[in-house]
Amino acid sequence: MDWLEQELKRALERKEPAPEFTARVLAAARRRPSLAARRWIAIAASVVVLAGGGVGYRWYAGIQAKNQVMLAVRIAAGKLNQVQTHVLEVTQ
Amino acid sequence: MKRISKLLLWSSLAAALGAQPLQINLDQLASKASETVDVSLNGATLQFAAKFLDGKDSEEAKVKKLLAGIEGIYVKSFEFKTEGAWSKADLERLRNQLRPPQWSRIVGVTSTEDGETAEVYVRSENNKMTGLAILAAEPKEFTVVNIVGSLDLNSLADLGGHFGIPKVDVPAAQKK
Repeated sequence: MDWLEQELKRALERKEPAPEFTARVLAAARRRPSLAARRWIAIAASVVVLAGGGVGYRWYAGIQAKNQVMLAVRIAAGKLNQVQTHVLEVTQ
Repeated sequence: MKRISKLLLWSSLAAALGAQPLQINLDQLASKASETVDVSLNGATLQFAAKFLDGKDSEEAKVKKLLAGIEGIYVKSFEFKTEGAWSKADLERLRNQLRPPQWSRIVGVTSTEDGETAEVYVRSENNKMTGLAILAAEPKEFTVVNIVGSLDLNSLADLGGHFGIPKVDVPAAQKK
């Protein structure tokens, strides 16, 4: 057995946890946020979701409104140009 | 004093009514149309939409500039599969709202050959344009455009050169 194997064996050998390890893990698992804290977390999450939804809806409504404006202007400009064409045809 | 306040009330009421859009009641045409475009945008919606127009895009920038003085855009356009879906009475009902002294017709084109009618009306107050109405009717199409507010007619016509529609330059002498 060369030195490398010995080193590896030593490094990977089974080690028992400290006696208070189980108690520490169980205590950490039992440590939950208080009711008030949980309420605040729920409220904050709701606010974030609502605000995100509001921004998303506003953006969607804005794009819809912009498309409507472009459509209306397109029709108005098209018709005006059509009238100009008629006038030009008549006058020439 | 009472008389003055009454006069003020009536004049403000008249001004408020004057700025109102046309009553475009064409429900009977909507039921016959194969395709309908109904756009109704008031001042608040236009201002909101203007925020979403891209100033770097040449077309959108022009539209944004055009919207600056506009308080409302109302468009109703119908396409029909067959001819004769609209009647002269439909046109007359709209024309009745476009009477002097507030409104004046600047262009009217009627083609008996094609059965087309196109009329452009402007509303003016104190030598300032405060509204535009376009009536365009073809055998299978009927369109009404009403723009409330001040706008530059040439800028609007100029936009006809965009959107894939070829722009026709009318000589200055013919422009009214």
